[in-house]
Amino acid sequence: MSAALDWLRQQRRTAPTPPPAALPSVAPAPGSDDIADVIERLRRLRERGPRRTAASASSPTIDRHLPGEEIAPGLWQTTERRASLVAPPMIDLSALARPARGRRPPTGTATFDAPIARERLCFFDTETTGLAGGTGTRAFMIGLARFGREGLSITQFTTATMAAEAAMLRAALADLDEGAVLVSYNGRSYDRPLLSTRHTLARLPDPWRDRPHLDLLHPTRRRWRAMLPDCRLATVERHLLGIVRDHDLPGSEAPAAWRSFLRGGNAALLRRVGEHNAQDLASLAALLLHHLGDADAPRG
Amino acid sequence: MNAVVRPDPSPALPAPPMAARPPRTEGAQWVQRLGRKYADRITALRRLPAREGDYVDLPPDLPPGLADALRARSVTRLYRHQAEAWRAAQDGENLLLATPTASGKSLCYLLPALAAARHGGKALFLFPTKALAQDQVAELIELSTAGHLGVRAATFDGDTSGDARQAIRASGDVVVTNPDMLHQGILPHHTKWAALFENLRYVVIDEIHGYRGVFGSHVANVIRRLKRLCAFYGSDPQFILCSATIGNAVEHAEALIEAPVHAITESGAPSGEKFLLLWNPPVVNPDLGLRASARSQSVRIARVAIKAALKTLVFCGSRTQVEVITKYLKEVFDREPRGPARIRAYRGGYLPNERRETEVAMRAGKVDGIVSTSALELGVDIGALDVVVLNGWPGSVAATWQRFGRAGRRQQASVGVLVASSEAIDQYVVQHPEYFFGANPEQARIHADQPLVLLDHVRCAAFELPFSAGERFGPVEVDGFLDLLADDAVVHREGERWEWIADSYPANAVNLRAVADGNFVVVDRTDGRQTIIAEVDYTAAALTLYEGAIHMVQSVPYQVERLDWPGRKAYVRRTFVDYYTDAIDHTKLKVLERFDASPLGAGQCETGEVHVVRRVSGYKKIRFHTHENIGYGPVQLPDQELQTTATWWQLPPAVLEAAWPTREQALAAFHGAGNALHCVAQLAVMAEGRDLQKCVDDAHPDGRFHPALYLYDAYPGGIGLSQPLYERRSELVKRARGLVAACPCTRGCPACVGPVAAPVKDEAETPKRAAQRLLTLFEAA
Repeated sequence: MSAALDWLRQQRRTAPTPPPAALPSVAPAPGSDDIADVIERLRRLRERGPRRTAASASSPTIDRHLPGEEIAPGLWQTTERRASLVAPPMIDLSALARPARGRRPPTGTATFDAPIARERLCFFDTETTGLAGGTGTRAFMIGLARFGREGLSITQFTTATMAAEAAMLRAALADLDEGAVLVSYNGRSYDRPLLSTRHTLARLPDPWRDRPHLDLLHPTRRRWRAMLPDCRLATVERHLLGIVRDHDLPGSEAPAAWRSFLRGGNAALLRRVGEHNAQDLASLAALLLHHLGDADAPRG
Repeated sequence: MNAVVRPDPSPALPAPPMAARPPRTEGAQWVQRLGRKYADRITALRRLPAREGDYVDLPPDLPPGLADALRARSVTRLYRHQAEAWRAAQDGENLLLATPTASGKSLCYLLPALAAARHGGKALFLFPTKALAQDQVAELIELSTAGHLGVRAATFDGDTSGDARQAIRASGDVVVTNPDMLHQGILPHHTKWAALFENLRYVVIDEIHGYRGVFGSHVANVIRRLKRLCAFYGSDPQFILCSATIGNAVEHAEALIEAPVHAITESGAPSGEKFLLLWNPPVVNPDLGLRASARSQSVRIARVAIKAALKTLVFCGSRTQVEVITKYLKEVFDREPRGPARIRAYRGGYLPNERRETEVAMRAGKVDGIVSTSALELGVDIGALDVVVLNGWPGSVAATWQRFGRAGRRQQASVGVLVASSEAIDQYVVQHPEYFFGANPEQARIHADQPLVLLDHVRCAAFELPFSAGERFGPVEVDGFLDLLADDAVVHREGERWEWIADSYPANAVNLRAVADGNFVVVDRTDGRQTIIAEVDYTAAALTLYEGAIHMVQSVPYQVERLDWPGRKAYVRRTFVDYYTDAIDHTKLKVLERFDASPLGAGQCETGEVHVVRRVSGYKKIRFHTHENIGYGPVQLPDQELQTTATWWQLPPAVLEAAWPTREQALAAFHGAGNALHCVAQLAVMAEGRDLQKCVDDAHPDGRFHPALYLYDAYPGGIGLSQPLYERRSELVKRARGLVAACPCTRGCPACVGPVAAPVKDEAETPKRAAQRLLTLFEAA
């Protein structure tokens, strides 16, 4: 039985209660009065129960500051550059894109046969409302990163409201030019399908599906699994790249941080989610360079 | 995806020749002989005359490929109702097929679905079980292959592999699944199914009469969610529904899909002559009013039928009954252990591949006698049968006709026999044949707006798509429910929209069938093995898998050595004992809340919510054949709890003290009266099977002796039986008293007050009299 039912039952035991709607023997046409009555009774039961903290309205003393620029209602964009992450002008991914024996090759494998310009690589990582899957999970932050002459430039889109989702998806699409080659960490199983779901729900076309996509989780696992306790990005960045984060907000806390901000809470945690996401992108780029044997590549 | 084609012989092909069997007795002759020999046990014999088929030509607008496919399978004409179904489907109507079993219902939906598939129109088929789903896919593929139509069809359920799932989502034309999978696995991932929803032309729902009560209310809401998604993707599919004969097929169908249907109730299929018998076992102990068991009669009838080379099916009310009857019949017919089994058992606990194998053998005519639970009631094709025996009243008029419908041959008469047990309701039916033959089959009732069910599905729907203020779910405005969900922090309201925000998957917490989850597996450990030989569902586990239980699989006995309750496993070993076991269970009730109460005669009748605890306290060991009780055993299992609605009748202690000298006698009177009251209550509200349970409890919160008789709904949260019973509380008492008074027994019997013990010396009053006196106390002075 559902949690609500358990809860309702519990409430009934502790408080004197009015009778619920009896079940008639033939399904009647639902009068709006009947439903309104039921809701009223359920409400009264809840009021007698443990008080739930109502969403507090934003007051001037709560820190609601988000970094960057509000480029559309509720949609914030930040940009930063990591000058130390320099890539060679042409990049050869053929060794990485080879699929393991017996597995399907990644999308657009043909693209990886010849070296490609570093500018085409599009690193991406999302922050979402959780791992439950299905149509109820959304991304509230999309981070994109590209190599250029001056290092790695990172762009992040964050939705401060739910209504800004469509604008965020469109803004990310604008960055996704025809030649873009996606690079992610576990993005083939998680981030990309999630974005495709959100595009369908928003009735937007879905170019993410067609872009060539290199998921670094797989070549990383193949090459270094024996040496590492696990292949989470945090582990990989610590052991292979020597990156140790300072005061990092764990990815698992990101959903709660955004939910709390959405309900009028403090933005501090959400800003730290942004920092975490930016570092994820930087580490992803550094990991790619590491794969390519670029021993001189500075750690971002 | 279409690789699984099952090469079953079509029932239209002649049966393989039988070697060295006695000549087949004609059904009508056999009934005559039976009637002469057992005239004293047959309380009614009805003859249903044969009916000619009503054929029409293949419709002219049937696509040529489909017409070819039909002709390739020797179908050159349709039954009138099949052609009418085609017409209604082409006219864009929703369709209800409420024709009897074996009337060719599946062509009514296969033809439209196959025709649409050729133009990219897709279909979703919902079946209540995987077995039926697989049957349909096989039939669909055969037709498609025969007509070179290239339609891609597949089942999609928990067993479907990951790769197959991707293929089905991307390119399946017909997706065959069940309501649970639709609810939990498809709708919450609908973006992956965009191709299906965008092009959905037909939704076929089979066996809708089974979607009643709380389960049916859930299914109606799943259909609301489905329609909501179709609207999102821009499709508006037609519904084709199939139902067995129930009292309100059209009303029920329209309640399920909340749209009008074109109903087809007359079948054009031919049917042979049929004889229906009501059979009452003979009285073996006139003093106690005891009759021979229904089981003894069913075995006898089946034996006589199989000896006459008539293919026979025995329906039993429980899995234990199936095992016991199979054993007795095998002792007669399957003495040769190495020969093919002439008698087979079929029930839910057997593994799926075993059941498939049995179905194939039955279709091929290789099985002479089948013993089954209600699992065989549904539409799985098992070929033609000559005789169907019902071991006990199945619980409803509709189910009885459904089971009788399994017997039927074109050219010869077939026979259905209902054997009454000593239960009060069985005795009532068999002694009042006009009740059964004159009764309308029960109505199927649902309450899609039951608040708790509705809340569950609004939650699931919000996960699938956001809600806008004022938006309706089905016909219901749900802003109030969404506010509740917002308080629960699963949705967040922003402006005029509620969107899902929690990190959870609500469909996992909603079980459409409202029973505790977790099937048990039975693991055979004989000779060091570790093989799974059967599955038992949660509700049956406490009654059949306690340590020491004899658990039978295809009538081979195993003894349960260890039961791992949290792990849902029972470890058994092959045994050779000569007894079987029967659990002793007790029920205790606690009133949680009174909705209403009123005085009734010298006592009181109330209705409200109760908490029921059922405990298995031990078991009896019963020797085969003699059926003597040769011992008891203990059982240590967790209690099974249920919170539901009930109506109860009670009398104040003072009244009871004045009427009976001892508490035991007062309680005995309560039990007797309760038996009669339960019987008339079931009939009055047309409760089905075990939906309405009774319990006499003498506990009272303040510790005093205050017995009451409870009649409670056997589903969590109740299914709407308690209120009508409460409203008819005094009428029911009158009827119960009438039933006891009119019973021909002397002291009491299972048909009125329940089984009675032998009389003690100087018995003050008979159990019958005591029950009547108690019932009189409830009547107005």
